[in-house]
Amino acid sequence: MFNGRINYRLPRNLLFVFELLALMLIFLYYRHTLNRITVIYSLALILLVYISNFLLLKITSGDNFIFLIVTMLVSIGVIMIYRIDPELGIKQILWIGMGIMLFFMTYLVFKRIRGWENWFLLYALASIALFILTLVLGTNIKGATNWIRIGSFGLQPSEIIKILAIFLIASYYTNHEKFTRMKFGKYYLLGIIYVFVLFLFLQKDLGSVLIFLSVFIALQFIYEEDRKLVLINLSILVVCAIAGYFLFSHVQSRVHTWLDPWKYIDTRGYQITQSLFAIAEGGFFGTGLGLGYPEFIPEVHTDFIFPAICEEMGIFTGIGIIMLFLILVYRGFKIAINQKYKSYRIVALGISILFGIQSFIIFGGVLNMIPLTGITIPFVSYGGSSMLSSFIALGILQVASEELDLDEE
Amino acid sequence: MKNNSINKEIRRVIVVLVMICVLFVSLMVYLTYFQVFRAESVKMNSYNKRLWINEEKILRGSIIDRNGKILAYSEKDGETYKRVYNYGNLYGHIIGYSYRELGKAGLELRYNNELLNISKSSALNELKNIVAPNTEGNTLKLTIDHHLQELSRSLLQGKKGAIVAMNPTTGEIYSMVSMPDFNPSALRESWSDIVEDENSPLLNRAISGLYQPGSTFKVITAIAAIETGTAEKGYTCKGSTTIGGAPFSCYNKTVHGNLQLTEALVKSCNLYFAEKGVEVGIEKLEEVSERFYMNKTIPFDLPVVKSSFPNRMNMDKASVAAASMGQGEVLISPLNMAMIASAIANNGEVVKPILVKEIISPEGSIVDFAEREVLSNGTDGFTASELTNMMVEVVQRGTGKNARISGVKVAGKTGTAENHTGKDHAWFIGFAPADNPKVALAVVLEEEGSSGGTAAAPIAKKIILEALNTIE
Repeated sequence: MFNGRINYRLPRNLLFVFELLALMLIFLYYRHTLNRITVIYSLALILLVYISNFLLLKITSGDNFIFLIVTMLVSIGVIMIYRIDPELGIKQILWIGMGIMLFFMTYLVFKRIRGWENWFLLYALASIALFILTLVLGTNIKGATNWIRIGSFGLQPSEIIKILAIFLIASYYTNHEKFTRMKFGKYYLLGIIYVFVLFLFLQKDLGSVLIFLSVFIALQFIYEEDRKLVLINLSILVVCAIAGYFLFSHVQSRVHTWLDPWKYIDTRGYQITQSLFAIAEGGFFGTGLGLGYPEFIPEVHTDFIFPAICEEMGIFTGIGIIMLFLILVYRGFKIAINQKYKSYRIVALGISILFGIQSFIIFGGVLNMIPLTGITIPFVSYGGSSMLSSFIALGILQVASEELDLDEE
Repeated sequence: MKNNSINKEIRRVIVVLVMICVLFVSLMVYLTYFQVFRAESVKMNSYNKRLWINEEKILRGSIIDRNGKILAYSEKDGETYKRVYNYGNLYGHIIGYSYRELGKAGLELRYNNELLNISKSSALNELKNIVAPNTEGNTLKLTIDHHLQELSRSLLQGKKGAIVAMNPTTGEIYSMVSMPDFNPSALRESWSDIVEDENSPLLNRAISGLYQPGSTFKVITAIAAIETGTAEKGYTCKGSTTIGGAPFSCYNKTVHGNLQLTEALVKSCNLYFAEKGVEVGIEKLEEVSERFYMNKTIPFDLPVVKSSFPNRMNMDKASVAAASMGQGEVLISPLNMAMIASAIANNGEVVKPILVKEIISPEGSIVDFAEREVLSNGTDGFTASELTNMMVEVVQRGTGKNARISGVKVAGKTGTAENHTGKDHAWFIGFAPADNPKVALAVVLEEEGSSGGTAAAPIAKKIILEALNTIE
C-alpha cells in the first residue's frame, strides 16, 4: 500500500495519542497526589518515544517497525506500573530512558564492530565468569539466587548472559566447519550450554533454564548439520526433565500447583489464583484504569504485570500485547531471512526466539496454561536489568535488519 | 550446493516460526476460552478479595420475611460491619452466611451484589459513585412466612428430612426447612464439627437432597395413564406378581383385588401402577416427568440439584415397573415434589418457585420484584382436576387419612420409599383447599422407618392448617 512505501507516521501518531489518553486517565486517578515531577517525567517519556521513533527513521536503513512495536509495549507496561505504584512508575520511566539510549548506543557501536563472530572463547568465558560471580555474590530473592547487589542497585547477570549465549551460538555455527574438524568439536557448544543450564539450575532459576534451552534447541534445529545431535539433545532434555521432576522438590511443587492451583490456594497457589481472579474480573474490556484491584496479586509489577493489564484494560489489550510480541517475532524472523551474513542471521533469530519464548513462558505461566516460572515480560514488566538487556538485544536486531557490507573495510 | 543449503535453512527457519506462532495463538485461544467459560465461576471463589472489598464500606442490606420481620441485618462494629442472624438455625439453609474466613453461602452469596447495592461496573455507575457513593445495601424481602417457617422446623425437630410449603398459584415459598441444620451465628466456632458431621447439616435437603419419591410419584404415572387412556381399563391386584422376571408386591403384600385408577391411588396399589407404567412405556413416563422439571435444572434463587428420571436405552420391564412406582432409579428433590403438587393444584401449570419477593432500596422503593412465571404445562386442566378429586379421596378415606382437616378439602398423596438403608423415607405431598388451593407442600422424613401416612401426613396437616389460618 501507499505506493509500495509504508506509512510510519500513522502508527507513530496513534501511539502518541494512546499514551496521552492513558496518561490523562492515570492523572485523573491520582488527581489528589499528582505533582509536577510526575507530569514532567511522563511528558518527557512521550516526547522521548516520539523523537526516538522519528530519529531512528532518519539514521537506519533497516526495519522501522520493531522499535515502534517495542515502544508500544513499553508504554502499556509503564502506564500499568505507574498505576500500581507511582514511585516505581517514575523509576521505570528512567529505565526506559536509559534503555532507549542503550539501544542507540548498541546500534551505533555494533554496526562498526567487525570480526565478532570469531570470539567464541570470549563469550564462553565471560558467561561462565558471570555465572560464578552470581553464585558467589548472589542474593536470594523470591527463592532464586540470580541477583547481584551492588550498593542499592540490583543486577541480574543472567539477562546479559542470554545475549552472550546467543552470540556464542552464532559464532559457533558461523565457524561450524572449523569446529567440526577439531576433536570433539561437535560437542563444544552442547557442553557449554549444559554448563550454563546447570548453573541456572543451581540458582533455581527454572524460567531461565527453559529460555536458554528453547533458544539453543531452536537454533540447533536450524543450523546443526548432524541431525543425530539434535535428537540426542532432545532426548537428554526429556530425560533431564523427568529426572528433575523426581529429584527436585521445587520442580515438583511447581507442577502440582499448575495442575490444581485451587488446592494450594492458601499457600503456593495463592499468587497464581490471585492472577486468575484478576483476569476473570477484567472481562473483555477491563474494569478501566484505576478501577480494578491488581494490587491483590503479589509481585504484580514484575512477573504478574500481565493479569494486572488484563484486569484494568481487558483481555482485548492482553491479546493485543500477545499479538505485538507475535509481530515482533515475525519481523525478527523476516530480518534474519533477508540478512546476507550468516552470523547476523543467527543473532537475529536468536534474539527473536528469545523475545518470543520468554514472553510465552510468562504469559502461559500467569494464565496457568503452563507451570509458572517467575520471569519478566521483556519491555513490559518492571525491572532495570531486563529492560536494559532487552533494549541492547533490540539494538543488535536493528543492526541485523540493515543491508550490511562487511568486506568494504 | 550453496543455494541448496540456504533453502534448507529458510525451510527450517519457517518451521520454527510456525511453532512460535502456534504457541502464541494457543495463548490467545486459551485466554478467550478462560474468559468465556471459566471466568464466572473463578470470580465467585471466596478467596477473591474483590468480593469483600465493598464489605468494609457498605452497610450490607437486611433480609426480612414476607411480613417485614427482620431475619438478618448488619450493624456497625468498630470500623467494620458485623452480620447478625436473628433466628440462628431457622434460616441457616435459606439465608446462608457471609464470613470472611468461611466465604458466603445461600442468599448471602446469590444476592451479594444486591445486598451491597453494587451495580454492574459501567462508566455511568462509576461516575455516580464518585458523586454520591452508596453506603447502604438493598433489603431482600423473602416470600417466607416466619410463623410457618418456625412451625415447620419445630415439626421436624429431632428428625432428618425436609419440608417445602408454597403458594401453588404464584410459586412463592412459604417455608423451607431442612434438618439437621446449622446455626450461622455460631458457624466460626463450630465449623469443624459441622463439616465432619456425617449427617451433613450444611446440606439443604429441600433443594440439594435427592430421594426416591416412592408412592408420591404415582401421581406422575397417573397423569401418564389418564393422558394415554390407559387408565380406562381396570386391573386386578393379587398382592404380588412378577414383572420382567422380578418380584413385585404391594405394601405389606395386601391384596387389593379389582380396581380402577381412583381406588388404586387411594389404596396406593403398587402393582396397578407398575402394570400401567409398563403399559404406557418409559418414553411417556419420561416425557411427563420432564414436563414437571425432572432431569432439568429448576430456576430458583438457590441452586437446586437436578431430579432424575432414568432414560436409559433398552430399559428392562422390571426397571420400568419400579420407576412407575417411584422406586429404583427415580430420584427427586423435595422442592421438585412440592412443585408437582402445586402444578396439580394449579390446573397443570408448573410455576417457577420464588424465594425472594422484592428487592427494596435503602430509600424504601422497590428496585426489583419477582413475577409469577409459568415454566411449563405439566398436564391439561382436565387431567389435573380429575387427579385432584382422586387425591382428595386419598386423604378422605385412603392412606392419607392423617392429613384430614374438618371443613377443608385436602388433596394429597403419601409415599413410603424403600432405599438402601433399609429404613423407609416417609413422604407426603398435597395441597388445600382442593377447590381453591392456597397452599401446596411436600414433606419428606429421611430414613424414618415408617410409612408416609403415619409419619408425614400429620406434619402436613399441621402446616396446612397454620398456613390457611395465618397467611393472607
